Amino acid sequence: MKRKTERQPCEAGRSMPRLDAYAKVTGKTRYASDFYAGDMVWAGVKRGGVPHATILSVETEEARAVEGVIAVLTAEDVTGTNRQGVVRKDQPVLADHRIRHRGDPVALVVAESRRALREAVDLIRIQVEPLRAVLDTDAALRDGAISIHEDHPGGNVLLEGTLETGEGEDAFAQCDAVVEAEFQVPMQEHAYLETEAGWSVLEGDGVLKIEASTQTPFRDRSEVAEAIGLPVDRVRVIAPYCGGAFGGKDGVTIQSLLGLAAMRVPGRPVKMWLDREESFLAGVKRHPARLRFRLGAKADGTLHALSADLDYDTGPYDHLGGVVTALGLEHAGGPYRIPNTRVRARSVYTNNPVGGAFRGFGVPQAAAGMEQVIDMLASKLGLSPVTMRLKNVVRRGDRNAIGVAVLSSTGIHECLEVLEGHPLWRDRRAWKDRCPPARKRGVGVACVMQAVGYGPKVPDVANAKIELTPEGAFRVYCGVVDMGQGNITTYLQIAGHVLSQDLTAMEPVLPDTDQTLPSGSASASRTTFTFGKALIRASKLLKRRILERATDLLMEEDPRNLDLVPGEVIHLTSGKRIPLSQIALILNREERFAVARYRAPVSRERPTDREDLRLHGIPHTVFSFGAHLAAVEVDELTGRIAVKKYLVISDCGRLINPRLFEQQVHGGVAQGLGYGLLEDMIVRDGKIMTGDFSTYIIPTALDVPNMVSLAVQMEEKSGPFGLKGAGEVAVDAPLPAVANAVADACGVRITRFPMTPERIMEQLERSGEPAP
Amino acid sequence: MSGREARVWLPGSLDELWKIWSDAPDAVLYAGGTDLMVRRRKGGPLAGSDLICLERVADFREIREEGEEILIGAGCTIASLMDHPLVRQNFPVLTQAFKVLGSPPIRNMASIGGNICTASPAGDTLPPLYVMDALLELRRENGLRRIPIREFITGPGKTDLGPGEVLSGIRIPRLPRYNLHHYEKVGQRNALSISIAGLAAIARISAERTIEDIRLAWGSVGPTVVRSRNIEKALTGKPLSSESMEAAFPLVDRAVSPIDDLRANARYRRILARNLLLRLPFRGVHP
Repeated sequence: MKRKTERQPCEAGRSMPRLDAYAKVTGKTRYASDFYAGDMVWAGVKRGGVPHATILSVETEEARAVEGVIAVLTAEDVTGTNRQGVVRKDQPVLADHRIRHRGDPVALVVAESRRALREAVDLIRIQVEPLRAVLDTDAALRDGAISIHEDHPGGNVLLEGTLETGEGEDAFAQCDAVVEAEFQVPMQEHAYLETEAGWSVLEGDGVLKIEASTQTPFRDRSEVAEAIGLPVDRVRVIAPYCGGAFGGKDGVTIQSLLGLAAMRVPGRPVKMWLDREESFLAGVKRHPARLRFRLGAKADGTLHALSADLDYDTGPYDHLGGVVTALGLEHAGGPYRIPNTRVRARSVYTNNPVGGAFRGFGVPQAAAGMEQVIDMLASKLGLSPVTMRLKNVVRRGDRNAIGVAVLSSTGIHECLEVLEGHPLWRDRRAWKDRCPPARKRGVGVACVMQAVGYGPKVPDVANAKIELTPEGAFRVYCGVVDMGQGNITTYLQIAGHVLSQDLTAMEPVLPDTDQTLPSGSASASRTTFTFGKALIRASKLLKRRILERATDLLMEEDPRNLDLVPGEVIHLTSGKRIPLSQIALILNREERFAVARYRAPVSRERPTDREDLRLHGIPHTVFSFGAHLAAVEVDELTGRIAVKKYLVISDCGRLINPRLFEQQVHGGVAQGLGYGLLEDMIVRDGKIMTGDFSTYIIPTALDVPNMVSLAVQMEEKSGPFGLKGAGEVAVDAPLPAVANAVADACGVRITRFPMTPERIMEQLERSGEPAP
Repeated sequence: MSGREARVWLPGSLDELWKIWSDAPDAVLYAGGTDLMVRRRKGGPLAGSDLICLERVADFREIREEGEEILIGAGCTIASLMDHPLVRQNFPVLTQAFKVLGSPPIRNMASIGGNICTASPAGDTLPPLYVMDALLELRRENGLRRIPIREFITGPGKTDLGPGEVLSGIRIPRLPRYNLHHYEKVGQRNALSISIAGLAAIARISAERTIEDIRLAWGSVGPTVVRSRNIEKALTGKPLSSESMEAAFPLVDRAVSPIDDLRANARYRRILARNLLLRLPFRGVHP
């Protein structure tokens, strides 16, 4: 008999195609929003419509009378705490007493059809007494400002943190050169393809099943249970492939509302799906921020003192605003050694749209400030921006800008060295000289870091489960959502590597609180880092069990004489093969499963004794890094900026799947360029004026340049196969890299982002530059 | 919300169109629908109206030469015109505008007639049609009239289209004497973008780089496309240079009347209206 060709086992470090790619591009993948059933009903909400008001009454009679309307619920109908949130649970499922932003849900309608739903929602009348709206952080902080949460001891300051090292601001007296600047960075929309969506059914056994487009099924489960008043074991959350999230689904969106609705129609599925306009109105945003930076150095370019103040507008709810702000605080000084620092960050309540998690999580704001002032300082000292950075970036063992010893792998110096030697940097002058008429060319760089994981207090834990199926295949119970990054593919690749299997012998079980084990959120650049490590452990346990049983079966003594190959166990000395299906038959059910836990390492450093700051994540111990280069052309006639070339050198540890890694870099840079150049969320009187894709401008394929992505593959011992997180760090640098390139091109620096042509033109005129 | 579903007709000929339209006089006419469908989604009077789609009316999809003119059917899609040799050879300024209109899927759907009848000051095909003095053919059941595009469009979203009248074709004279063809649009991004300001120019430039004849039309800087005989006259006989263009700036300031909107403020639009002229000296001239 002819032997079949050996199947090639998965291997960490080798690119492989996404498992989900074919089904997604052919439209076969079923997202939460794709659910339909014959007896399905629809849920939707009436939203506040005013930025700040006391609710006097909610009139629902007319809505109830609409044919096809099953129920109309208000806060009075919620039997749980009616509060959602991760740290501070301050966000009502249905607004009671007060409306704190225009998108606040006030009444929930359950109806037989979408048409009846819409009609009923329009007929609900909310009687309010308007309150003065708090529309920016200055107004929120002013003496006598109205408190958005009267029960919050900090007033409108959700969280404030200050970290100081060395002599703090006193050290500026010892500096030879000091620069300072103030910047404003905008709100940013996640703009995922799949808007907030899900469906729910109250099943016969009393269990509320919710399938949702979410990053956080396990946290959703407890949050929903508490908010709507159910025991946690009566809620099950299922998280299919999610059509994009970027942090916007890190936390409950429609889940609690779905639960409330499903309780009213036992046995019937209820669907809720925001349209794009409602997603803009109600969804969380990247926090707009005001950044004040002062940076000082010695004459030779050695950084000596930093003072930074970062104010984040978190809107009316914590959501994850406190944690976002704390991460901004921790990253304010960037990847640099600075012996004397004073950094302060505040998260401030306003009546603007809700600030929440977004790829980068507070770091893009901080990097926007820090990476521009360091360029300004280099220019003042007559140093090249690369030389300036090479002189100051942290190396392993150094203390970073908040005084924390950097103990994990640290490759930012290596990234910069690669950048310095790259033709895009080396030959920049020649490229700039070849500039077409009426245009100016410039090249800018930026260096960034991004913490991996949750920080010292909140356990960053994953629990992996893997099964040898009765058929002899492997089933990986994935505890962390794949929202498009491709981590499910990477999980199979990891298990396949340990078990020497190829993809055809493996299948994933997507996150489901009934099936998979709690493994935390798909966020914080920890999705593959933490779960991957747990999965390696579980796979090794199962491998050992399989080999031991095969050893017994062959009456062999030493399991080391056996190994796994795709589909089989091989006896190395005799060449005898046993199919895995045969091994599966002799294992009992419990033996076919292996589970393992991993908790990510935490820093023992204490840059602060404030337990609340530690709870909010300070400090981290593992960081990914990146050095970016942008080559831009500024049109002097129109102020338009074209990014012509883009180079990214990342230190995200060793790569498991280089192709998926590159996709993360490309996506991060595209989103970062949108943030820096195009995405101008205009909010007036708490109202989003750019609430759809015709007015809120995200980049198209024609707005994103070809990118070169290189990786400095330094091993991080605490990560799976030496990997560190890669989902966020690429989004942090494009804004400052482009801003620095624009300054290099035409000597102007704008302080309010994004860098729209209009703002560039204004600066060009002001600087007396050509602008005829 | 209207109580019944909207009806949609797809006439295959003019005769069918007249018949359907007389049975459903309140129906709204469209071809590609790329503007209309968005407006219907946002509600308002158009949301529930009946529709007559013109994309299958064969007479509206023709492109043919008629003596010194080329007749373009109003139902031709932007994509089909972009690739059409008669259009590419004769009207490079129009082809340049097509390339920056919407995106490939929009260009596959959108019709040139729709772009004209929508009458947006930001319509991408309008400045080129203005500089070429395009003549529009309007049909009714028992008649035909011709009207220059600048008389047809009367304001933002407003046209001279009479009741029972439909735009059937666009007549553009061949313009062999012009050797500079230029369209530039400034939008918020490189595709799927609404014009903040745009300039179409055709000109006859002599071997000595003197402007012998020039026609200019600006988009998005007034309630309708702006064409100014004063500016054109002032530039005629001048060298094709930045200095000549700058000398015309005061006239440009007088000719345009831009507004503030979410995309840009009026001040920036004024700067663009002037500066876009400065691109002309850098344009290639075909001898």
